[in-house]
Amino acid sequence: MIAVIGLVVGMIAGLALQPEVPAFLAPYLPIAVIAALDALMGGLRAKLDGMFDDKVFLVSFLSNTVIAAFIVFLGDQLGVGSQMSTGVVVVLGIRIFSNSAAIRRHLFKA
Amino acid sequence: MTRRPDESMTLLREVMERPLDPGYAAAAERRAQSPDGGTRRAAWVTVTVFLVAAAIGLVVTVAAVTLRAPQPAAAEARTLLETELADRERQADALGAEVDGLSDEVEALRSQTFDDQDPDVQAALLRDGVVSGSVAVEGGGLLLTLADASALAGAEIDTDSRVHDDDLQRVVNSLWYAGAEAISINGRRLTPLSAIRSAGQAILVDLQPVSSPYRITAVGDPTTMQTEFAKSPGASFILTLSSFGIQSSTTPQSSGLSVPADPSIQTFYAQPLDSNQDDADDTDADSTSTEPPTSDPESTP
Repeated sequence: MIAVIGLVVGMIAGLALQPEVPAFLAPYLPIAVIAALDALMGGLRAKLDGMFDDKVFLVSFLSNTVIAAFIVFLGDQLGVGSQMSTGVVVVLGIRIFSNSAAIRRHLFKA
Repeated sequence: MTRRPDESMTLLREVMERPLDPGYAAAAERRAQSPDGGTRRAAWVTVTVFLVAAAIGLVVTVAAVTLRAPQPAAAEARTLLETELADRERQADALGAEVDGLSDEVEALRSQTFDDQDPDVQAALLRDGVVSGSVAVEGGGLLLTLADASALAGAEIDTDSRVHDDDLQRVVNSLWYAGAEAISINGRRLTPLSAIRSAGQAILVDLQPVSSPYRITAVGDPTTMQTEFAKSPGASFILTLSSFGIQSSTTPQSSGLSVPADPSIQTFYAQPLDSNQDDADDTDADSTSTEPPTSDPESTP
């Protein structure tokens, strides 16, 4: 619960402060957002499965985001940045879809 | 022990079949085994979890907000540039009109002066003005139109079916050959210093863009020009262009064609002489000295 409250507090702070993002981080923002969405879906599904855990949620959230951004960074350095981005989006997209399917089964029993 | 048929595709199976982080299951198991049911933990863990969660929420929100932001900013910059461009174009048009008015005034003053004093000089000035493009002319001649091949609205025209800069160059050269005395393309006077060039897909006449249909007005003797042009390479070149779908028409007109003056005529090296050689006119010499007849670098095209 504390993690969710923390997230909400952080989001409100982000909306209120609107700090500048350094330009060199800009290419990784979309990937980071998708990775965060994946972790959120995973956390929601775990909650509905009855085995949510703050620590696991945060660690998966953090590592997903950082690793996704790192993969894209590596791709940029190797000259295959856009392909790497596509790969990351496909993998995370599949996970988001199957997690949301599980959530849907929990909520609507269908 | 049986092997799965898709054993070589562990990676894909991993992605498809186990989207939930196994860490959740492990944590749930740990909680189930611990004596207090896993509900209690140290205060620092709670604080850390809260802080990390707040940091992540902040970063993700900022990322999402930043991703949404650039488009309005870019659009704003674009609108700004567009208005600036329109402003500058209006300024340039106004200045061009002013130049036209001033050169008309100069022309009037000059003819006023020379008509009485020295009709020969006045005639020479006019002749040079026609050749150099500083004087607007009208009369009979040929009106030639070239247009890109027609295409459905929004469809991309094949680049072969567009009028290119060298197409215009060839036709214009043939018109000079046929005896044209003054030529304009879409109202832009060709002078001895004019260039017909292309930049990307646009055709520039004297660095000003012109677009299809290209109306080439050539003032000269209509009858001679028509026969001479028909014999020139330009006429057969137009036939070749028509096989690419480029539309063209040639109309001789006995009168009523007008070719404007080139407002941007300037000298690069020639300086006006001091007015001491013509003492009789030194009050009006200033107005004539802005365009001395000796200033044309090349007097024939």
